[in-house]
Amino acid sequence: MSVDLSMFERFAVTFQPGDIVFCEYEPGDNFYLIQSGRVQIVKILGDIEKNIDILQPGEIFGEMAILEEAPRSATAVAIDKVKALEFNRQNFEILMKGNPQIALKLLKLFTKRIYDQKRRFMILTLNNIEARVADVFLMLAENQVVEDPDQDQRIFKATVEDIAHWAGMSYSECKKVLNHFAGQRRVEIYEDSITVRNINDFQRFVNSQRNKQKSET
Amino acid sequence: MILYVDRGWFEKYNFSCEVELLSGAKMPKAVRYRANSVVYFNGDVTDRIYILKSGKVSLNYNDIETGQEIHDLINTGEFFGVKSALGKYPREETAVVLSDAQMVIFSVPEFEQLAMQNTRIIMKMLKVFSNQLRRMHKQVRNLISSGNEGLEPEEGLFRIGQYYLNAGKYPQAVYAFRRYITYYPSGIYSGEATMNMEKAEKACQGQAAASPAGSAFSVGAASKPAVSHDREELSDTAKKYYNAVSLYSQQNYQEAQKEFQKIVEDGSSDEYAAKAHFEIGRCLLGLEDYEKCVQHYTQMIKRYPTHPDLRDALIYVGQCHEKLGNSQKAASFYSKVLSMATENEVVYRKAKRALRQIEEKR
Repeated sequence: MSVDLSMFERFAVTFQPGDIVFCEYEPGDNFYLIQSGRVQIVKILGDIEKNIDILQPGEIFGEMAILEEAPRSATAVAIDKVKALEFNRQNFEILMKGNPQIALKLLKLFTKRIYDQKRRFMILTLNNIEARVADVFLMLAENQVVEDPDQDQRIFKATVEDIAHWAGMSYSECKKVLNHFAGQRRVEIYEDSITVRNINDFQRFVNSQRNKQKSET
Repeated sequence: MILYVDRGWFEKYNFSCEVELLSGAKMPKAVRYRANSVVYFNGDVTDRIYILKSGKVSLNYNDIETGQEIHDLINTGEFFGVKSALGKYPREETAVVLSDAQMVIFSVPEFEQLAMQNTRIIMKMLKVFSNQLRRMHKQVRNLISSGNEGLEPEEGLFRIGQYYLNAGKYPQAVYAFRRYITYYPSGIYSGEATMNMEKAEKACQGQAAASPAGSAFSVGAASKPAVSHDREELSDTAKKYYNAVSLYSQQNYQEAQKEFQKIVEDGSSDEYAAKAHFEIGRCLLGLEDYEKCVQHYTQMIKRYPTHPDLRDALIYVGQCHEKLGNSQKAASFYSKVLSMATENEVVYRKAKRALRQIEEKR
């Protein structure tokens, strides 16, 4: 969507590489639309800095601040020299009237975020930890662009830590489950990727677990 | 033609919004559905968005947390099917017609056209969506007990500073600690945060000096000029100062004030004397001695007309006047701060907020 933003020049802010735009836990009342440069979204978990996303020009971040001033849920860091438009609840009305396309884009962004979050929640509702790990792969597969959607074997650029994060379990717990799967030849674990031999097998497994759980309640 | 949308859309949110369709705007035709027919099934992928004009429609789905089957009745005038159509993902509920109904069906482009002419629709939906998203975040967090996801914001912010400091990412550490001190000036870690911020600032300068290209990082627009440090170790005065800051953060204002006073009287460091002056005012504010606080800051401003914390001091003076019941005088101090700051600075926002609150009270 190409949008004329010249009238919003007065909301422009620039960040140097390495600058923090905002920091997790600090109260936020601004949100941003990237005009040039890239922004990395990270979360610090204990001693590791986890990459959540890398955002490109045209993307919006910090959008939760539209509703209320609440603590930020992640940290945003400029990768390159970043030029962005900075909006808040006060000047948002101006933005809306002057350029409803941006607002529409924001609306679509929210629908995606809600969906992703719901999907993530579905994983966590599984009681069986093996099913939970399998469902993480299903979620990753849903977002994967593959040439042949019918192919059974899938390769994921993910580490054990990533899987543990999505599955909401500790590293060691997750590692145990993955090793068990590896022993059954259902997965192969490499340093920076994990191969699932048959994604449909995982799908059947997760479905049966969900049905089982449903009948129990 | 004017179509009133009474509540909002399919989830139970109480907002009223009216859709004024401009004359000339193309309005899709209303379509009839018989009782017991299905508008769409859970899992369908289509790009249709609906407004119920008459009749009864129910959205049936299982609650993701409890698995319980939920029947949500749509009110006349409400939108439904919006999220999945805009997000291009499968329907998450089945829409069943309970009694003969009429609805207006929009394709996504048609909906977009309507929304662009009525930005209030977008605004209200945005609020509903961001509310839902926040609720989802909370639900996810409740299921994850690992990591530091359950931290209080105050502790979380401090820990981020610590992480960056330990990782040798000094400009980022300075940012996090500075924010901590701004938001939690009397927080449990404020002494430690101040000390670590200075440490990180010092390290930043070291990095900048070592790099031939000059500063590799800047700390962002909110940064104050870094305090110069030639000494590797903290001086005695600095130690005394941080001790006093720590007393302040424990809300022991009386003792803290005494310690800051000693630094002022000692006079061995002008830099710390100026800082201590500022802190004495904050102690007086903490002790609720507002008149004395005003006097103190008035003197400080005379003595240090270019004090780095001048604008913060003016905000405190404003707060004192408010406490003393003189909101007009308070407002003049906040306005003064606005004239001295730029829009993206924290003091600016603080002053702006304070002014707004005074306005609201009137």
